[in-house]
Amino acid sequence: MKKVVDVSIPLGPMHPSFKEPCRLKCETAGERVISAELELGYMKKGIERIMKGRPWQEVMFLAERVCGICSVIHNMVFIEAMEKISHIDVAPRAAYLRIVANELDRIQSHLLANYSFCYTIEHETIAMYLLNIREEAMDLLEILTGARVTCAFIVPGGVRYDISDDAIARIEGGLLRIETETTRYAKMFHEGPLIALRSKGVGILSPEEARRAHAVGPTLRASGIAEDARMHHPVYQTLEFKPLTRETCDCHARIMLRFDEIFQSIALIRQCLRMLPPGLIRSGGTCTRGEGTHFGEAPRGELGYHIVSDSYGRIKEISIQTPSIMNIEVCAHHMVVGVTSIADVMATYISADPCISCTER
Amino acid sequence: MTSLSAYLSHMLRAEWIRSFFLVKTKPLTKPAYFMDYPIDTGKRCTHCFSCMMICPVPDAISVLMVGETEGEDIWKPVLYQGHCIRCGLCVEICPERVLASGDIIERVRQDSTYMQSTFHILVNEGKCAGCGTCSIACPVNKEIDPILASKGTTTSDEVIMRVKAGVMRVLHEEKCTGCKTCVLHCSYQAMDVARVIECLQYESDDETSATNEGG
Amino acid sequence: MSLLQKLKNSVRKRSIHVSFVDTASCNGCDIEILACLAPRYDLEQYGIYVHNNPRDADVLLVVGAVTEQWIDKLPMLWDKIPEPKVAIAIGNCAISGCVFHRPGSYTDPPVSKHIPVALSIPGCPPRPDEIIQAILAVAPIAFKDYEKKL
Repeated sequence: MKKVVDVSIPLGPMHPSFKEPCRLKCETAGERVISAELELGYMKKGIERIMKGRPWQEVMFLAERVCGICSVIHNMVFIEAMEKISHIDVAPRAAYLRIVANELDRIQSHLLANYSFCYTIEHETIAMYLLNIREEAMDLLEILTGARVTCAFIVPGGVRYDISDDAIARIEGGLLRIETETTRYAKMFHEGPLIALRSKGVGILSPEEARRAHAVGPTLRASGIAEDARMHHPVYQTLEFKPLTRETCDCHARIMLRFDEIFQSIALIRQCLRMLPPGLIRSGGTCTRGEGTHFGEAPRGELGYHIVSDSYGRIKEISIQTPSIMNIEVCAHHMVVGVTSIADVMATYISADPCISCTER
Repeated sequence: MTSLSAYLSHMLRAEWIRSFFLVKTKPLTKPAYFMDYPIDTGKRCTHCFSCMMICPVPDAISVLMVGETEGEDIWKPVLYQGHCIRCGLCVEICPERVLASGDIIERVRQDSTYMQSTFHILVNEGKCAGCGTCSIACPVNKEIDPILASKGTTTSDEVIMRVKAGVMRVLHEEKCTGCKTCVLHCSYQAMDVARVIECLQYESDDETSATNEGG
Repeated sequence: MSLLQKLKNSVRKRSIHVSFVDTASCNGCDIEILACLAPRYDLEQYGIYVHNNPRDADVLLVVGAVTEQWIDKLPMLWDKIPEPKVAIAIGNCAISGCVFHRPGSYTDPPVSKHIPVALSIPGCPPRPDEIIQAILAVAPIAFKDYEKKL
């Protein structure tokens, strides 16, 4: 079929819906998108290059600042990769506390992603409700770690601080509030007829395309493929964890899957707090020479760190595989293609939860 | 219609109506457990530099000599806002608890956790010319042997490192404070200092000794 | 200063129009600015309005260590804002480069090298309440004595 291109529309780098600079060039016929191309390079800071030659206590903070939204998982995967290399055992209590911090981070990240989607389709009521309940999750993270965004909670062999009984009670109270509120908002989103017009059947990513283009995270699971790096994590295996999927493959499925995962995270935190073993939170151990790869599940998908270290635990080579690079490429090449209006291009792009900061590092 | 009922059931709750008319935004305050910029507790700083050595950010903290009383120098850690990322590592590692931020000190005392730093001096023998610049530059060496500071030569075996028979020898690695002055001064890029940090916790049976030490 | 100008200035002090540009931050400061919009902090009760177009704004919030791509684009963006205008550097990256300001990185901090900055808010990231307080503090001073140059 001959392509008939009317006009090529650039979106970005500074666009109201993008919080970060990135350019999406759409070739359109009428308003129907025929193809799209992604142009990156506005955020390249060279973090991996700075990391070289530095010990863990400096790289840990750089790893957190690969992505500020999902900072806990970057911290966790980096430290677990170092532990794998140096054969450090994690204290059991600390292993569960790590999960608590990580899942709280996932809740706030998913709420933020859903806020952006609702804001992009101009449904500001739900958007503001979600942003308000996100503050509750940030408070819980602050009670646990002492900081809101970049908390530096996880260190080799354990965590920075223990959790007190008072804090456990407050976290459980906060989780109950998040759960009741989010249930209501999820229902509003699920049943809204106007939201359905903007989200159902828009930005379809078939399972074959998702598989072929290596989509990860909620974008993949909303296409019906149950794949989650948390399945291979030893601590998650002791919890009742099963990856969730949705079958409809559109924007609506991706947003609803994030709502589902928020409830799953709440259940995981409750399990962790119930199963929290008494004992030490740090087991010590120094980082040593070695080479290793470790994967974890960030809110946006699979996150990998490949590390080569020297005999004093300093980083010689490091390469980070972040989830967003796959997801936004999938978005540009498959999800956006065939979308019937430019307004829906933005909504589809946001539904993949892009994070340019960790894409380019 | 179902969605309308969802909105109505959300907005007709007594809680929603009450908050719609009565709720005020919270005052702009920080909670007490937030790790804010470290503040001085007034305790005596022994200038061990461990806060400077663990700081992950360039130029965020420096320990300076601010004055003198009764023949003794007064040292103080100074934080630079705009560089400090409020991670709280300096508060956690300080053995004298000179700095305080949020409730880090109480939490660390409760958990009896501590951090231990060791420093390793690595000399690349292929690059080293045996000039001895590093041993003259080293501030700890100067303190141990005053002759080194004035004349530039030493015969003492108490210094961290010195040139012995034309070859650079590291004699007392455990005295190193990890300041990397030698790395800066080496003309041949032969020196390297590795800062190794270990995160540890006292076992529960010697918890009392930890509290005494921390207090 | 004419009476009309005085009136304009006093209005500007209380209705602050803000725009936001991200010159390669880690997203931490972005989401804290986003959190300011939340009903808990409620920016608009203080008379602060967030615009997406810098042409509508009086105050430019700059976030991030400036990368090579932004070195020419940031002054261009600054020129497009109508007078009177101020820029606020938010976060350590915009002030000093923080963890990214190291040999080998592709950043060129601080922001004040590229555009004039009126105020900087330290923190990595700063809390929403710190951001709101700083914006409220700078607006009355910045717009007090503005007079249109002919």
